[in-house]
Amino acid sequence: MTIHTVPPGTAPAPPPLLEVQALTCRFGGLVALDRVSFAVQPGEIFGLIGPNGAGKTTLFNLISGLTPPSSGAVLWRGAPITGLPPFRRNRLGLARTFQNLRLFDGLSVLDNLLVALQRQPGESLLGGLLASASHRRAERQRLERAGQLLEELGLGGLAGRPAGTLAYGDRRRLEIARALATRPSLLLLDEPAAGMNPSEKDDLCGLISQLRRRHGLTVMVIEHHVPLLMRLCDRMAVLDFGVRIALGTPEQVRHDPRVIEAYLGGAQP
Amino acid sequence: MIDNGLLVQMLIGALLGVSVYLPLAAGQLSLATPAFYAVGGTLAALLSTSWPALGAGAKGSLPLASFLLELLLGGLLAGGLALLVGRLVLRLQGIYLAIATIALVEIVRVAILNLPFTGGAIGIFGIPQPFPTTAGYLLPALGLLALAGWVCQRLEVMPLGRAMAAVRNDELAAGCMGIDTTRVKLTAFVLSAVLAGSTGALAAHFLNTWNARQGSFETSVTMLAFVILGGSRSWLGPVVGGLLLTALPELLRPVGDGRLVLFGLVILLGPVLFPQGLITPALLERLGRVGERAEQGEPQG
Repeated sequence: MTIHTVPPGTAPAPPPLLEVQALTCRFGGLVALDRVSFAVQPGEIFGLIGPNGAGKTTLFNLISGLTPPSSGAVLWRGAPITGLPPFRRNRLGLARTFQNLRLFDGLSVLDNLLVALQRQPGESLLGGLLASASHRRAERQRLERAGQLLEELGLGGLAGRPAGTLAYGDRRRLEIARALATRPSLLLLDEPAAGMNPSEKDDLCGLISQLRRRHGLTVMVIEHHVPLLMRLCDRMAVLDFGVRIALGTPEQVRHDPRVIEAYLGGAQP
Repeated sequence: MIDNGLLVQMLIGALLGVSVYLPLAAGQLSLATPAFYAVGGTLAALLSTSWPALGAGAKGSLPLASFLLELLLGGLLAGGLALLVGRLVLRLQGIYLAIATIALVEIVRVAILNLPFTGGAIGIFGIPQPFPTTAGYLLPALGLLALAGWVCQRLEVMPLGRAMAAVRNDELAAGCMGIDTTRVKLTAFVLSAVLAGSTGALAAHFLNTWNARQGSFETSVTMLAFVILGGSRSWLGPVVGGLLLTALPELLRPVGDGRLVLFGLVILLGPVLFPQGLITPALLERLGRVGERAEQGEPQG
């Protein structure tokens, strides 16, 4: 696939799916993010790397609306969404997973997905109480869709299990399934491969490409494992101490002197 | 030992337990139920004693339709109040919400005590009776409880009920999954208030007299005990808790003065022996399996 990088000064024909403009986030005296800007184009897999504490998760929190930025803007298909709460952003098509997994542990695997499969237009509280025809139809569709997603992510046999009792890898995939259930255009994955062994990481890599194709997704991934990102991503940004120090294709980033310095340590004689 | 009057009281306890359960099912520890109970009861007491259109008879009788109308109005007024107050207090979380709702209970109590038309400390008495005997109240109380139970049961297979469970599990993740958490919490709070308001209207007629003491901080704590003893994972928990804890002080009457000590002991030991409450999902599942086996076993034997 091709990536359109728009040279400054020309009017871009379709706006990028997501754009962050000079995004800054301060926690007291600590500058977690310092005027970070980039745009994510529809259909690409966009990687985000950086040493621990570089501000990657903070950036995800700003994009998904969990943390308000100190300044700067987040644009969705060209329109500002900086002030919107997380649920509104999700309804626009932005879904995420969490670094430390935030499943609804008390609910069954199936219910975790049904929660995310939201009320459909025309469904009312009264209709639900009285089990109206439209409610039953919507409920059937939800069950069907949840079943598909569970199959797709290899969780088929686990529907009735409480989410809290699943094995770690299954939990990771359930969280992705739950995010997909909200029918996102952009999926934010926060360290999806954390704690996995190399072969599991390979599987995950394949899964992400597959999901992008099947669901027409744009994906942003935070990952520590650089070789995995290099393979997976179309483009990537590198953060270091809250500053975006590089942006480009994996090949460009790999040879960027600032990236090498950030990763291998500066002050070489 | 259990007469009709006590049975009605037990049902009222169960209804109030469900009212505390509803916000809790969305993870909100609200102790506002007595405030809405008091509002519903006061409205019913005022209307039936001073609004001639309701048709209260000279001998203190009341047409059944007027009684049902009062249940509805009591619920609506309480629900409307919850809608206004909920927007403010539901910004608070955990124990802060509990404290704010206790404050609401006190505000309502003091208001009812001091308003010029609510009868002051003596309250309103001689509230007309729609039924000739206390047994008459059994049916509407049971009906209201069946309605509340049916709503709770339906919620479990509806988007709203699932959203409530999600908010209770992890509010932040629920928001990221497109759930309007504020709205979900507010809806649960309003449903709880409607139930408490209707229950108050029923109780006002049943008790025949109504005053500000009906909804106090003490009632909040008792109702919370219903849910803690019964369990908060299913609506059946607070029902069982409400029935038991309302009956217990009466059943312990033969014990004499020590009965309140025993009552306190039950509240204290309940959570120790049954940390999840008496009614747990595991218990319900076991009962379900036993029920299935009984159904399957019947044809042969």
